[in-house]
Amino acid sequence: MGQILQFGINGLMSGAIYALIAVGIVSVFKATKVVNFAHGYLIMFGAYFYFTFAVLLPGMSWAPAWYVSWEPAWLVEMKEGLPMFSPLGAVLDWLTNLPRVIIGLIGALAANAVVGLIIERVLMRPLMGQSVFAMIMVTVGLISVMSGGAQLIWTADANYVPSLAPNTPIRFTLFDTQIFLFGTDLVNAVIAVLLFGAIVAMVQFTKGGVAIRATAEDQSTAYSMGISVPRVFARAWVLASLTGAIAGAILATRNGVSPSLGLFGFSVLAIVLMGGLDSYVGVFIAALVVGVLEAMTQWKFGGDWAGIVPYVAVLLVILVRPHGLFGQKEVERI
Amino acid sequence: MINGNLKASYADDERVLDNSYKKAFVYGMMVVLAGFAAFANDYLILVACQMGIMLIAVVGLNVVIGYTGLMSLGHAAFIAVGAYGVTILHNLGAGTVPDAVMPFIAVPVAVAISALIGIVVGLPSLRVKGLYLAVATLAANFIVIFVIEQDLFAPWTGGMTGIETPAPNLAGWVLDDKREMFVLIAVFAFATILTVQNLFRTRVGRAFIAIRDRDYSAEILGISLLRFKLTSFAISAAFCGLAGALLAYFYASILPEQFELALSLQLVAALIVGGMGRTMGPVFGVIVIVMVPEVIKVVFGAVSGGDPSVAQLRAPLQEMAFGFLIIFFLMFEPLGIVHITDRILRALNRWPFARG
Amino acid sequence: MLKIEDLHLSFGGIKALQGISFEAQAGEITGVIGPNGAGKTSLFNAISGFYQPDRGRVWFDGRDITGMAPDRRAALGIARTFQNIALFRGMTVLDNIKLGGHTRLKTGLWGALRYFGPAQREELEFRRDIEERVIDFLEIDHIRKVPITALPYGLQKRVELGRALAMRPQVLLLDEPVAGMNREETADMARFILDVQERFGTTILLVEHDMHMVMDICAHIVVLNFGQQIAEGSPQEVSQNPAVIEAYLGAAA
Repeated sequence: MGQILQFGINGLMSGAIYALIAVGIVSVFKATKVVNFAHGYLIMFGAYFYFTFAVLLPGMSWAPAWYVSWEPAWLVEMKEGLPMFSPLGAVLDWLTNLPRVIIGLIGALAANAVVGLIIERVLMRPLMGQSVFAMIMVTVGLISVMSGGAQLIWTADANYVPSLAPNTPIRFTLFDTQIFLFGTDLVNAVIAVLLFGAIVAMVQFTKGGVAIRATAEDQSTAYSMGISVPRVFARAWVLASLTGAIAGAILATRNGVSPSLGLFGFSVLAIVLMGGLDSYVGVFIAALVVGVLEAMTQWKFGGDWAGIVPYVAVLLVILVRPHGLFGQKEVERI
Repeated sequence: MINGNLKASYADDERVLDNSYKKAFVYGMMVVLAGFAAFANDYLILVACQMGIMLIAVVGLNVVIGYTGLMSLGHAAFIAVGAYGVTILHNLGAGTVPDAVMPFIAVPVAVAISALIGIVVGLPSLRVKGLYLAVATLAANFIVIFVIEQDLFAPWTGGMTGIETPAPNLAGWVLDDKREMFVLIAVFAFATILTVQNLFRTRVGRAFIAIRDRDYSAEILGISLLRFKLTSFAISAAFCGLAGALLAYFYASILPEQFELALSLQLVAALIVGGMGRTMGPVFGVIVIVMVPEVIKVVFGAVSGGDPSVAQLRAPLQEMAFGFLIIFFLMFEPLGIVHITDRILRALNRWPFARG
Repeated sequence: MLKIEDLHLSFGGIKALQGISFEAQAGEITGVIGPNGAGKTSLFNAISGFYQPDRGRVWFDGRDITGMAPDRRAALGIARTFQNIALFRGMTVLDNIKLGGHTRLKTGLWGALRYFGPAQREELEFRRDIEERVIDFLEIDHIRKVPITALPYGLQKRVELGRALAMRPQVLLLDEPVAGMNREETADMARFILDVQERFGTTILLVEHDMHMVMDICAHIVVLNFGQQIAEGSPQEVSQNPAVIEAYLGAAA
């Protein structure tokens, strides 16, 4: 019983991160009808940018001391005499890294937004209104371009990146079981859920969101009603890149920075299809379910089996409910 | 259209090589290939063998993507099934089945297994179109590689570290030389193109195209979507399985990572570059896709002069080149190289009376 | 030949068809008319199997085909054309018409891969058959190698009719065969439809807006309005039926 709860909670936390990744795919699909097969690689770029701004740049000889490691007198004083692995120590360590974390995040967001804009402007816009198939296949081509590109740009072996939140161990008892979590995982999950909620609210309630939904419904009508469809496209891609940057930073702290981060995009694509491409709620639920299933698989069968859980799950879901668990079936007009 | 290409019987009109240009081209190519097998140097033979193997796979993929209009991003899985199938069968049969007979059993069985797995992977195609299928096939690719890598099956598959493959012995003719392999591969590649071409002269191939173009109206003509979508998947998986079997015979050993997503994307890239749904599309596409790494290799050799820090940039550059090829053709020549050659041939045929 | 019995069909809350019953007699042309949104195309879709009716039955030649898949119905001998031409646009006229023969041909996968032998014999015989029975008959021999996209609208409609004829149908469903055609093209098409009936004895069910044509060529007419069947009978009976006049011209007339 105890283990189930522990793994269940772990699963929910990684599910939340899947949801954050998925929101980028769903937003682009909603606005442009393009399923971005390369979203995972956008996230990988986010991770590498975070790594660049939080690790590589502070490592340069010209980097100011506070950027490398922020150690004001009061902090050093507090650190003195603390026992190893104390919760307060973890917070203080994090404070030392705080400038790097903040600059890392800002840098990742900005740089990824630029990448997203370039993709939209150079590759997607010329194909707009022609063929969705071609646009989707362009994102398939992007997989190779971005994966090769990242290996060209960042040849250094990357290992450690500072975590977004203090890595304090958290222990508590739930239904008579000891649960053990890392603070940073919890904060990551909370960030993911908040961002997901904010984006859904934005699409539902703001003027820009209405434009996105109108464009999703009918591009040419939306265009003729005065909605700038190209701008909606650009916004959707920027939104995907920004959430991708955060997700990338989180994944970098969790799994390390490597080209294989791009593969997360495919698992999440599977999750998105499971939930139904056009349903935020469905995708969120699917993400949590897959997160938990993965954690359970990891517990029972070992880590490498967890990797194929989304793929097996999506095949089963497609066979039973072809349009996802919550997606709408398109009625074909003849 | 070719000027003055008149026919006196329906049989003449239904021929594949229905004009003198096509005849000259195909028969000419046969002569050239025979000469190539005899006189080309070892390096060229090696490259040509790679092209031949990939060509068989891409022709198979063309049946599903180009003619039936079902997107697949996981066909490398079927190549893996073919390659591992042949290897495992050889190892299982060693001792009981004479070596000279083995390939005649192993290849058909491996191809049949690929076709069966193709049908299973194709099942979602009955319910969903386009994207969902692309993701389903992608998922299948990951699952197949995962199974091959499992320690559980390692005694048969060799797991992560790969496995040595047998040399084929065709009724006493041991193909341990690349040049001999080239003959075998070329014959198979030629037969593959021909059989697929045949398909489209009958109701089966027409049904595929009907499904691609408009599936509800295909149904109204009595075409069972269930049967023909699965048939299409089975055929393409079978050809990819055949490519895998030849690949196992061609290389000394195989590794699971050879059959990952990257290979599936290469197949798709070859198809897009060459031209989807056309006979010559895979041929042109494969030539380009196999040449790219070779050209990069030569350029790198000249530039780096053996400097290892530069040489390690080669793999990512090659990967990017495939991606750029896909993107470039989609944006500027979505119908592929075939469309370019079409235009050139048309212009030649009309010259000097009209241009273009 | 084709009997519709108390057919009900709804999409969510919208009742597209409410209790349609009529019979298309063998070898006759039956017309289905009604204002836009009356449910004519829905009726066709229910007959060809795209929509499952909520209630009621469809009988073909004494056989209940209500639950049958569209491709099985086609194999039985029900052919149809579409309101917005559903030809395979990338293919030539000849290939489109050949597709009509799908259910009549027997070549399987192995035969197709081999081609030479039975498959070739069957293909050539089939080619001769459609050349004589369809292409010559519809006077489209000059365009047989032309891709559909290069054809004018009227000819496309004729090719679609040709594709349906290649199926050797017993029942032919024509969804607005002359919609959007000028007077001359309409007259041509009407002539072809009559020829089909005369030469092959095909039972024809026809949805059309062109009143003149319907009154001219149909033996029997069914009138729908808002999913209900408001009248049925010969052209004279229908044209004098007060309910029909009201539906078409409004209550004031």
